[in-house]
Amino acid sequence: MTSQHDGTRHAGKVPQEKPGFDIAISGRHIAKKFGHVQALTDASVTVHAGEVVALFGDNGAGKSTFLKTLLGMIKPDAGEFIVADQEVSFQSIRDAQERGVEAVHQDLALAPDLSVVDNMFLGNELLSRGLLGRLGVLDRKEMTERADQALRDLSIKLPSLKVDISALSGGQKQALAVARAVMWGHTAVLMDEPTAALGARQSAIVCDLMRTVAERGLGVLVVSHDLPRVLKVADRVTILWRGTTALESPAADLTVPEVVATMVGYGKDAAA
Amino acid sequence: MSTAISPKSKASEPEIDPDLRAVKPQSLMRRLFRSTGSYILVLDVLLIIAFGFASNNFVFWSAQNVQALLINGTEALLLALGLAMLLGAGAFDLSIGSNLVLSSVLGASTIKALAGAPDAAGNYPNLGVAIALGAVVCVATGVVYGIVNGILIAYFDINSLIATLGTMGVGTGVALVITQGGDITGVPIPLQEHFGLASFLSIPYPTMIAVVAAIALFLLLRFTRYGMRTLALGSERTSAERAGIRVKPQLVSLAAIAGGLCGIAGFIDISRYGSTAEAGHVQDPLVAITAVVIGGTLIEGGRVSIIGVIWGTVLAVVLQTGLIIIGVPSFYQLIAVGLVLIIAVGIDRYRVRHRGDR
Repeated sequence: MTSQHDGTRHAGKVPQEKPGFDIAISGRHIAKKFGHVQALTDASVTVHAGEVVALFGDNGAGKSTFLKTLLGMIKPDAGEFIVADQEVSFQSIRDAQERGVEAVHQDLALAPDLSVVDNMFLGNELLSRGLLGRLGVLDRKEMTERADQALRDLSIKLPSLKVDISALSGGQKQALAVARAVMWGHTAVLMDEPTAALGARQSAIVCDLMRTVAERGLGVLVVSHDLPRVLKVADRVTILWRGTTALESPAADLTVPEVVATMVGYGKDAAA
Repeated sequence: MSTAISPKSKASEPEIDPDLRAVKPQSLMRRLFRSTGSYILVLDVLLIIAFGFASNNFVFWSAQNVQALLINGTEALLLALGLAMLLGAGAFDLSIGSNLVLSSVLGASTIKALAGAPDAAGNYPNLGVAIALGAVVCVATGVVYGIVNGILIAYFDINSLIATLGTMGVGTGVALVITQGGDITGVPIPLQEHFGLASFLSIPYPTMIAVVAAIALFLLLRFTRYGMRTLALGSERTSAERAGIRVKPQLVSLAAIAGGLCGIAGFIDISRYGSTAEAGHVQDPLVAITAVVIGGTLIEGGRVSIIGVIWGTVLAVVLQTGLIIIGVPSFYQLIAVGLVLIIAVGIDRYRVRHRGDR
C-alpha cells in the first residue's frame, strides 16, 4: 500500500467524460409524519445529470424536510429514492455522501475555527503516505493544492486558504460551502437557500456556480425563495404544496406569478 | 434596508457586497494579543523574578524549589492537558481530581497486594511486577472513568458539567468506600526513590512524562485528522456531524484520553507521596481549568493552545508555591487562583466579543 489517500471519493477531480447515469437523484412519492404533523404526503422530484432543478414552495410546504430525506438525514415513512439510476435507501448523511450526494446547508455547516483548507476536507481528509498516514497525519500540502485547484475551477477567490473561516465574509463562506459540496459530490449537489444571506452580486455568483456544477454532469437541486433569479437559472421547476408535489414543469414555461400562484393557490384550484 | 432596495445608492454597496472585502491583515499587536500563551509566559517570568526577590535568600530560585515546582506542576499539567483536549471539543470535565484519586487508590491497592511483605533489608519479593501492574491499573482506571464520562456526555446527551459533576461525586465516594475514609499508606519506598522523587539532569522523571504527553497532544492536534476533527467538533458540532464525522465516538475517545492522563497523574501521586492523598485533590479542577483557560484555550471549543496550557500551569503552580514561600498563609492560594481564573475568563469573553461572528 503506497498511498493512504482515500480512493473511494473523487477528491476534487473534474469528471471529464459524461457521467454514466441519467437520473442524478430522485425521490418519488415521499411521505413523512412527525407526531401529528404530516410534513410530507406525496412529494416527488427528479434531477437528471447536468440539470438544475428548482424546488419551490411556501413556508411550511415541506421543502427542508424533503431535502433532508433525500440526504438520509430523515428517514421517510414511504417512498423510494434513486441516486445515479440506482434505487437507494440512506440510513445517514454518510450513506448519501458515499453515493456522491452533497449538500450546501442553509447554515453552511462550516467550522469557524478551522482554516479554509481544513473546512474543504472536513470528513474527507487526506492522509500522508506511508507510516505517518497510518498514524493519522494529514497531508496538508496536498490538501491545500487540491483545495486551491477546486476553488480556481469554480472561479472562487479567497484571500488566503490558511485563515480561519471566521475571518471570511458571508459571500466568501457561501462560495466555500458550494465549492466543498462540488468537490466531494460526484452525483448531485443539493442546496438549501444558498442565496438567502447574500447581496445581489453574490446571489448572481452563486447562481452561476449552479450552472457550472450542472455543466460538469452533476444534478443540482436548489431550494430557494429567490424566485426570479433561480427561475432564470433552473432547467426545471418542482413546486411543493403542503407536502405534495403540485407541479413539475420546465422552467422556461413558467413565470414568477405563475409559480407564486401554484405555491400558494394550488389547493384552491384543485378544490374549485 | 431602504438603501439596499435603491439601485442608485452606490455608497452602501460595500455593506451589501461583502464578497469583495478581503481579509484585513492583522497588526503585529493584534497577533501577539491573539496568542495568549506568549502573554502568560511573560507573566510567568515576571512572577518568578518577583517571588525570587521576595523570598528569603532567594530561596524561590533554589534548585530544590525549582524541582518542587516541577513536580508540583507535573500532575497539574497532566490534568490540564486532558481538560484542554475535552474543551477543544466543547466539553468540560470536573471529575479530573476525583479520577486521579480513584486511580491512585486502586493502583496503590494493587501494588501493596502484589508486592508482598518486605524482608529485613526492605526488599520486596515481587516489586517490579507489582509496580508495573499498579501503573497499568492506574491508567486503566482513569481510561474507564473517562469512557464513562464520555458515554454520559455523548450518548446520553447529559451536559458535560452535570455529567462530570455527578461522576466526581461517585468516583470520590467509591474511593472513600474502598479505603474506609483513610488513605492507603506504605506504598513500597523504592517507588519513591527510583521514580516519584528521582530525577535525571535535575528534571524529575514524572515531569518528563508530562512533557512527553504535552508534545504528543500538540502534534495530535496540529497535524492529525483526529486533532482536526476534534477542533471541528468543538468549533461547530452540527457542522462536524453534517461533514459525516462520527461525533459521539470522538467525544468518548477524547474523554478516555483525558481519563488516561488522570490515571497517569494518579500513579505519579502515589509514587511521590508513597501513599494516596484523597483530600489533596479537591482543588484540582480549579487549578486545571485556570491553567487551560489562561493559556488561551477557548471554553466554547474549537481552539486549543497546548503551549498555553503549559505556561498556564506554570503560572498556577508558581503562584501557589510562591505565596507559600513568601509566607502568605496557604488559604490565600485558593483566593489567588480563583481570582486569576475569573480574570482570565473575563479576558476570554473580551476576545470572543471582538472576534466578530461568534
